[in-house]
Amino acid sequence: MLGTARPLYLARDLSSRDLPGTGASRSACSRGERFHRRTQLAEAHGGAHWGSGVVDEPVRWRFPSAIAMAAGRAARTGLNGLFAVYKPPGVASIRVRDTVETLLLKELNSLEQPAVQQQVRFLPTTVEGNAGKELTLTVTRLPVLAAHPLVRGPEFTHLKIGAGHRLDTKSSGVFVLGVGHGNKLLTDMYNAHLTRAYTVRGLFGKATDDFSDTGRLIEKTTFDHITGDKLERILAVIQGTNHKALLMYSNIDLKTQEAYELAVEGLIRPMEKTPPLITAIRCLQFAPPEFQLEIQCLHETQQYLRKIVHEIGLELKSTAVCTQVRRIRDGFFTLDSALLRTHWNLQNIRNSIKDSKIKVKVGLQRSLSHQARSGKRHTDMDQVAESELHSTEGTSASDLTHKMR
Amino acid sequence: MAAARSAHVTHALRVRPPVFRGGHREVKGEGSPRWLLPRSLCCCCRAATSVAGLGGRAYRALLGQWPRLRCSSLGAGAGRGSWAKTRSSREVKEAEDAAPVFQYVGERSKRKDRVFVWGFCHAGALGIPSFIKPDASWKKRRRIQPTPYRLDTAEKISSAACGYGFTLISSKTTDITKVWGMGLNKDSQLGFQRSRKDQTKGYEYVLEPSPIPLPLDTPQETRILQVACGRAHSLILTDKEGVFSMGNNSYGQCGRKVTEGEIYSESHLIHRLQKFKGRVAQIVCGQDHSLFRTERGEVYSCGWGADGQTGLGHYNITSVPTKLGGDIAGVNLVHVATYGDSCLAVSDEGDLFGWGNSEYMQLASITETTQVNVPRHLPFKIGKIKDAACGGTGNAVVNEEGNVFVWGYGILGKGPNLMETATPEMIPPTLFGLSDFSPDTRVSRIRCGLSQFAALNNRGELFVWGKNIRGCLGIGRMEDQYFPWRVTIPGEVLDVACGVDHMVTLVKSFI
Repeated sequence: MLGTARPLYLARDLSSRDLPGTGASRSACSRGERFHRRTQLAEAHGGAHWGSGVVDEPVRWRFPSAIAMAAGRAARTGLNGLFAVYKPPGVASIRVRDTVETLLLKELNSLEQPAVQQQVRFLPTTVEGNAGKELTLTVTRLPVLAAHPLVRGPEFTHLKIGAGHRLDTKSSGVFVLGVGHGNKLLTDMYNAHLTRAYTVRGLFGKATDDFSDTGRLIEKTTFDHITGDKLERILAVIQGTNHKALLMYSNIDLKTQEAYELAVEGLIRPMEKTPPLITAIRCLQFAPPEFQLEIQCLHETQQYLRKIVHEIGLELKSTAVCTQVRRIRDGFFTLDSALLRTHWNLQNIRNSIKDSKIKVKVGLQRSLSHQARSGKRHTDMDQVAESELHSTEGTSASDLTHKMR
Repeated sequence: MAAARSAHVTHALRVRPPVFRGGHREVKGEGSPRWLLPRSLCCCCRAATSVAGLGGRAYRALLGQWPRLRCSSLGAGAGRGSWAKTRSSREVKEAEDAAPVFQYVGERSKRKDRVFVWGFCHAGALGIPSFIKPDASWKKRRRIQPTPYRLDTAEKISSAACGYGFTLISSKTTDITKVWGMGLNKDSQLGFQRSRKDQTKGYEYVLEPSPIPLPLDTPQETRILQVACGRAHSLILTDKEGVFSMGNNSYGQCGRKVTEGEIYSESHLIHRLQKFKGRVAQIVCGQDHSLFRTERGEVYSCGWGADGQTGLGHYNITSVPTKLGGDIAGVNLVHVATYGDSCLAVSDEGDLFGWGNSEYMQLASITETTQVNVPRHLPFKIGKIKDAACGGTGNAVVNEEGNVFVWGYGILGKGPNLMETATPEMIPPTLFGLSDFSPDTRVSRIRCGLSQFAALNNRGELFVWGKNIRGCLGIGRMEDQYFPWRVTIPGEVLDVACGVDHMVTLVKSFI
C-alpha cells in the first residue's frame, strides 16, 4: 500500500526542506495545505500515490485558515436562518445542538460528490523499442488526488449552529436554533425580550428538594382540601403580583400619561434583564392530585417554574412537585413549527428556515424599531406583532388584550 | 527505580491528571517521563483520565491515591456525602411510601375572615398599638404603614368605616360587644372610652379596637348591620333598634338638637334615631352631615347644609332627619353615597341623582351653580348604574357591565392629563385585571375616600388610585397614583372602607 510512504510526522521535514519560501512558521500552513503540497511534490517526483488515513468524522481544525476554509464551505450550503426543534426530555440542550449539527453535516457531506478532477499526465514508461527497453512518455489520465475526498477529508466539517434560549435536561419543548447568519438573529431575539409560554404539570402531596418528582422527598401532605377555585385564586394573586412587578421593572415613570396609556394597552414590558416575571398564568386541567398550568413568562428558567409549582403547593397549605415542564412557545416559534427528532434532516430544516424567515424578520424589525424610537424609556410594542402572529397561527392567547375605547 | 517511578506518579498526581489524546501513547521505560505531558498541554484539562494508556502499576497507584474519584462516580445519585451508602430505587421508593403524611388543613376547612389596614398610624386609626407605642425594643414608632397589615380581631368583622382619623368596625354577632372603635376620640366619635389610669376621664386617642358601649334595649338579640363615620361623628345601624349616632353635633349631624357650648369630648351621650318611616337600610356620613336610606327607597338627611348637601332645599343646618324631595321623590333608591360635601344616589332602575357641592364640577353637567340643594337627576348615558361613590372632589360610578366612570376634579384615574371633567369618563377595564386569560373580570364595587378611589373586582382584587395622602393607598410607595393600581393582599377582598389617610379592608383568606 504505502511502499514508499513516509510516516506522517515527518511530513514537516519534507515541506520545509523542499519547498522554497517556507521559512515562515509551519503553523501558518494547515495540515490540509501541507498534504496538498506533498502530493504535488510527489507527483512531480514520480507520481506515486499517496494514500493516507481516511478521516471519516469532521475534525476540528485548530488553525485559523482552516476555520476560515470550513466557514467558507459552510456558507456555500445556503443554510442561514432560524428554526425550531423539539427538544425531548432527558437530553441536554447542548447535545441536541450537537446532534443537529452532526446530522446536518452528515447529510451535507453525503449530498454531492462531484466527479474527481482528472488531469492529463505524461508518465515515463518503458517501451519495447529498437535497442531494447526505451524510456518514453505515455499520456495518461489520472485523478487529481489533491481534490479526492479521501485525501482532503469531508467537504463540510463545521457548521455554525447557535442555540437560543436553552432548556434544561429534564424539560422539553420548542428550542430555537440558528444556523449561519441566523446566529446574529439569535442575538436580536434575545434583545427583543419576548415572552415564552410553558405548560407545567404538577402533582400535589409531595415536596422534594429540587421541586421535581425525581428529587429527594422532603415532606408528604394531604391535598383533599384543594379545590379548583382555590387554585384559581392563588393563580390570580400570582398574576397580579407579577403584573405589578412587570410595571415596576419597566423603568417607566408611573406619573406620566404615556405610562397610563401603556398600562391600558398592556404593552409595558421590561426591555432589560430582570428577575423572572410571569406575565400570565392559568389552570388548564385540575384533577387532584394532578394539575396542569399554562404559564407565559419573561427571563425565566425552568427551575424557576418548578419553584413556582412548589410555592403554589405551599400557598394551598399543602405541597406540590413539578412533573413536566414543556415549552410551547419561544417568541415567534410555536409547537407547530418545531421539528421532531425524526424530522431532523436537511430538507425539513431548510423548509423550516424558509417558513419562519418572514415572521422573524417582521417581528424583530418592529421590536427593534420601537426600542430605538423609545430611546431611554424601555417599552415594547411587540405585543401587537405577537398577537397578530398568534391569530394567524391559531395558537394560545397573547398576553393582554387591547380592549380600549 | 521503583522509588523513582512512584515519585513520578506522585508528582503527576500533585500537578494534574495525565491527559491522553488518541490513546496511542504508551508508558515507556522506567523513570521515563514520556507519559507526562508537558504543562502547556495539560492546562486545557480536557478528557479526564483515560487510564487505558497507563501501565499496570501506575494505574493501581492512581486509583490508590484517589479513592474519591472512584466512589463519586458510583454514588452519584445516592446523596450528598461521598461516603453515603448507596440506596437502590426500591429502597428509596419504600422509604417514600413509609414517610408520614402531614395535614395542615382539614378537608372541610373554612376560609378565615381577616381585616387588613394601612395608612397613617399616629392617630391610632389603624388599631395596632405597637405602631405608636412599641412593645419591643427592636420595634420603632411608625408614622405610616405603607402596605396592608393584618389587624387581629376577636370576631368576624362584617362592616367597617373610616372617618377622619378614626375607624369603626362591627360584627353581626349577638354578643354584647358588637362594635369596636379606634383612633381619634376627641369628639367622642367612638363613644366614651374610660381611661384606666383615671376612671373619671376618657381617652382622647384609642390605640387598639375598643368596644363601644351601646345603650341597646336587647343587647343579646340586636345585630349591627352597618357603621358609618364622618369627620367627627359616627353612625351605627342596627336591625331592630334604629340608628345610633355619637360624636360631634355642632351642625346637627348626629340627628339631635344643637346645644350651644356643648363639650363633645369625654361625652357619654349616644343618641338613638328611630323616627323614620320604615326601616333604615343604609347609613352614610358626609363630612358634617348624615344621610339615611330607608327600605322604601327614601332618603333622610340632617347636618350641615351650607353646600346644599342635605338636599332639603335650603342652606341651613338641620338637626332632625328630614326626608328629601326633588327629583328623587317617588323614586326607589337602592344606594346613597357621600364622603365630602356632595352626594349621589342610585335608583333601582340604574338612574343617578346628585346634590350638594358642585365646586369641582361634580354636577356641572346639569347646572352652572356651585351648590345644589335639591336632588337632581344626572342624565348620563353610561348604562345602568349599579354602584356609586362620592369623594371630596371626584365621583365614580360602576355600571352593570362592570365599567368604572369617573368625573369631577383631581386624580381621576386616567393618567395625569385628566384632572377635571364634568361628564363621566370610562376607565379602561384592562386596568382592573381584564385580560385574555380572564375575560370575565368585572368591577363589582367602588368606594371613595376624600381624594382617592378604591375598586373591587369580582375576583376579589383591590385597585386603588388617587392622591396618596400619608400612604393611604397601600401600594408601598408614597407617590400619587394616576391610574388604578393593584394592592397586594393575601386574601380575597370582600369590602373596603376608605378614609382620609387610611383604609380598612375586609378579606377572606384563600384557603
